[in-house]
Amino acid sequence: MASAAAQASQKAPGPDASSSAHLGISLAVKGRCQEALPILKKAAPHLADKQLKYQAVMSTARCAMSLDQTETAVEVLLVLNREFPHDADVLYSTTHFYSELASRAAQELAATAPTSHQAEQLEAEAFESQENWDRAIAEYKKILEQEPRLAGIHYRIGRILLSKSPADAEGAKAEFNDEVKIAPDNASAEFMLGEVARQSGQWDEAIVHFSRASKLDEGFQEAYLALGMSLNSAGKFSDAITPLRNYVKMQPGDPAGHYQLATAYARTGQKPEAAREMALQRDAAAKSPRSAQTPK
Amino acid sequence: MVKSSRDGCNPASRRRFLQTLGCTGMASLLSGSGLFRAEALPRVEQSSADFEEIPASASGISWVHVNGRSPMAHLPETVGAGCAFLDYDNDGWMDIYLVNSGPCDFYQPAQPLRNALYRNNRDGTFTDVTLKAGVPGDAYGMGVAVGDYDGDGFPDLYVTQYPHSILYHNNGDGTFTDVTAKAGVGAPGWATSAVWFDYDNDGRLDLFVCRFVDYSKAKLKFCGDRLSGERFYCIPSIYDPMPCWLFRNNGDGTFTDVSKESGISQSLAKAWGVVAADLNNDGRMDLYVTNDTVPNFLFANRGKGRFEEIGLLAGVGVNAFGKPRSGMGVDAADYDQDGWIDLFEANVDHEMYSLYHNDKNEAFSDLALPTGIGAATRLMSGWGLKFFDYDNDGDLDLLLCNGHPDDSVDKRVEDVKFLEPMLLFHNTGKGFENVSRQSGAIFSKPLSGRGLALGDFDNDGSVDVLISQNNAAPVLLRNNLGRQNHWLGLRLVGTKASIDAIGARITYQSGDLTRHQFKVGGGSYLSSHDPRMVLGLGKRTKIDWLEIQWPQPSGKTERLTDLPVDRYITIVEGQGKWK
Repeated sequence: MASAAAQASQKAPGPDASSSAHLGISLAVKGRCQEALPILKKAAPHLADKQLKYQAVMSTARCAMSLDQTETAVEVLLVLNREFPHDADVLYSTTHFYSELASRAAQELAATAPTSHQAEQLEAEAFESQENWDRAIAEYKKILEQEPRLAGIHYRIGRILLSKSPADAEGAKAEFNDEVKIAPDNASAEFMLGEVARQSGQWDEAIVHFSRASKLDEGFQEAYLALGMSLNSAGKFSDAITPLRNYVKMQPGDPAGHYQLATAYARTGQKPEAAREMALQRDAAAKSPRSAQTPK
Repeated sequence: MVKSSRDGCNPASRRRFLQTLGCTGMASLLSGSGLFRAEALPRVEQSSADFEEIPASASGISWVHVNGRSPMAHLPETVGAGCAFLDYDNDGWMDIYLVNSGPCDFYQPAQPLRNALYRNNRDGTFTDVTLKAGVPGDAYGMGVAVGDYDGDGFPDLYVTQYPHSILYHNNGDGTFTDVTAKAGVGAPGWATSAVWFDYDNDGRLDLFVCRFVDYSKAKLKFCGDRLSGERFYCIPSIYDPMPCWLFRNNGDGTFTDVSKESGISQSLAKAWGVVAADLNNDGRMDLYVTNDTVPNFLFANRGKGRFEEIGLLAGVGVNAFGKPRSGMGVDAADYDQDGWIDLFEANVDHEMYSLYHNDKNEAFSDLALPTGIGAATRLMSGWGLKFFDYDNDGDLDLLLCNGHPDDSVDKRVEDVKFLEPMLLFHNTGKGFENVSRQSGAIFSKPLSGRGLALGDFDNDGSVDVLISQNNAAPVLLRNNLGRQNHWLGLRLVGTKASIDAIGARITYQSGDLTRHQFKVGGGSYLSSHDPRMVLGLGKRTKIDWLEIQWPQPSGKTERLTDLPVDRYITIVEGQGKWK
């Protein structure tokens, strides 16, 4: 904790900090960041005027980025987001700066290790984000040619195969199976294997995978819901109650958990519990209204 | 209910109608009809397609639906309309009724529009008799429910419309009279599907009418692109739900609105479809109502005129994630022959349709995924649909028509189309197989399908299909497959039960084949069907026996033997024989 004197000093800064800040901002506007940055870094922490501080810190961030002083840039972005939360300019600048940082890191990766699996993966992810599925798969497969047992790559390919239209569920299933051979503790791959099985109505198989996913990652909320849904679908209503109880504790605002738990209670003769969960389902559903237009 | 001896000869007395055929003279009317002759239309040419589209030039059905699409994108424009097979003149040949749009507060047609009644000429062609019959409609038409509410032997028409509906009483002479005001079934608002059924087991057909949202020109909301001003059809979540109607038949040509005391109006609806069936085998007709953006209703009939809405706990109200879908088309049938009636619901794209297996105890499980129906319908939007045994092998198959409600969806949603093909699922006895591709060119044709009615218009035992499209001509399909197997067609006539015998259960045995069928009320979307039932026998040439469990109030079972095949027969409740 800062001393009382230091706090008083920060709350009542001298005219020097303010003048320095104005000077630093002026220099930064003129593009003279080499001169502006040390002045701004020194003055900014002592500014009481909120608006002046905002301008000073934003100028510090811009100069730090332009001078490639990444550490300083990140520090002031954290200050900006802490002291000016929800400010649109701050959020915009933060996005811009982090994006720039990401771009620089990617360029450096490409320059220093262009054939590394990390570089290939970055490229594949870029294609994936553009929904260029075929190119993304091709890039991921290049990685597997280099490192056939690299964890996470088969999982990524499987996800893409499910995202394609029409989805290739069988292909995806094979990829997820390959993934769990390489990384038996990959809860996400187990979950996806469960989801592929659930989507084709193979409840028993889905139950096995969702059960594994929830054991591998005890915080995996969706796995509990999916397990409960599959157990209900398989008519194993009493078995569904425990995972669904876990889920509604984790996600009390999701109507799905309450609906499935109500179903499990109702089918096991626990009518008051079923009615209670159904009431919670109605409340939760009412709080998540649908769009008035055709979903895009 | 005790009736006076005079009731027997009173044409307005429906329940006694067929007990007293002699004094009403209707025996001759029936015996002179094609029901007894049941001659099938001779086949001039054979098509290799299981379902063959009959062009307007061949059928004479030149009528076209006009939706009045406006820049304002009023929701009723995109959801209509329905169609029906009915034998309005009791000649034993299925006629056709088609519903059109019409004048209302948001639409004044440039040219007059009207519904159409086409009389079956018994040669594969139809003649438009609408004006003579007097059934043109008088507002923005939606659907049609056919039922002989007064038991005089002639089917009556309830036409749902916005902003009020019409009851046309069949005068028995080829004409109808608008009796809406006298009957008290105007149902102000936006009515969609309707169904005739006997909810209080008094032997009279009552009327349930689905109501959609609180809508009018003044209540139109904006959905679209704010920058360009272009409007799209809204998802109805932003409109207020409204209660459906239940009208009790008083037996004197009037009805009493019992929506409130029956419990129906307590559940606010955005209802598109309805089917009436005894879902818990307690001898009372229940109702399954599909809603758009609010949970579906399962109104369990608890007797004494009361319904309990149990959709959510029964597992048919919302999807597996606890959210309401866009419930549209609906039907009910015991597709797996376990003695309990199952349900089907069609939804909009990305929601999948639901095949709800009846697990007994008023609980259902959605088997859309394991049957493959989920995957086949993932991107589809379904309206009219019906279970029926199209190939007469004894198993109930499933036919659906589709089409997205938003005519701009192609531009905005990948892989989703405004015009969509029909789907046909063949019941293999172990599950459903999507046989659409091999069942005819019609299953590759994009349609704006809405209504779907079943009816054997050529009396050959192959149940044919009528599809009504939005803003397009209807599609008449001849079924070429069913007649390749053997069959028996039944017309059931209730005497104590309602004359249409809705709720009857038929069980039959033919060699190693034992099957049953339930006669449900309504189903599909905005549409009404041939009231006759066709029992498929496969290659078997003989029916060993047939049992009819008549609906309440008698609930009696009659067993018949020495039955013919490959023709239609009529069975009157209590007579223990067929004609």
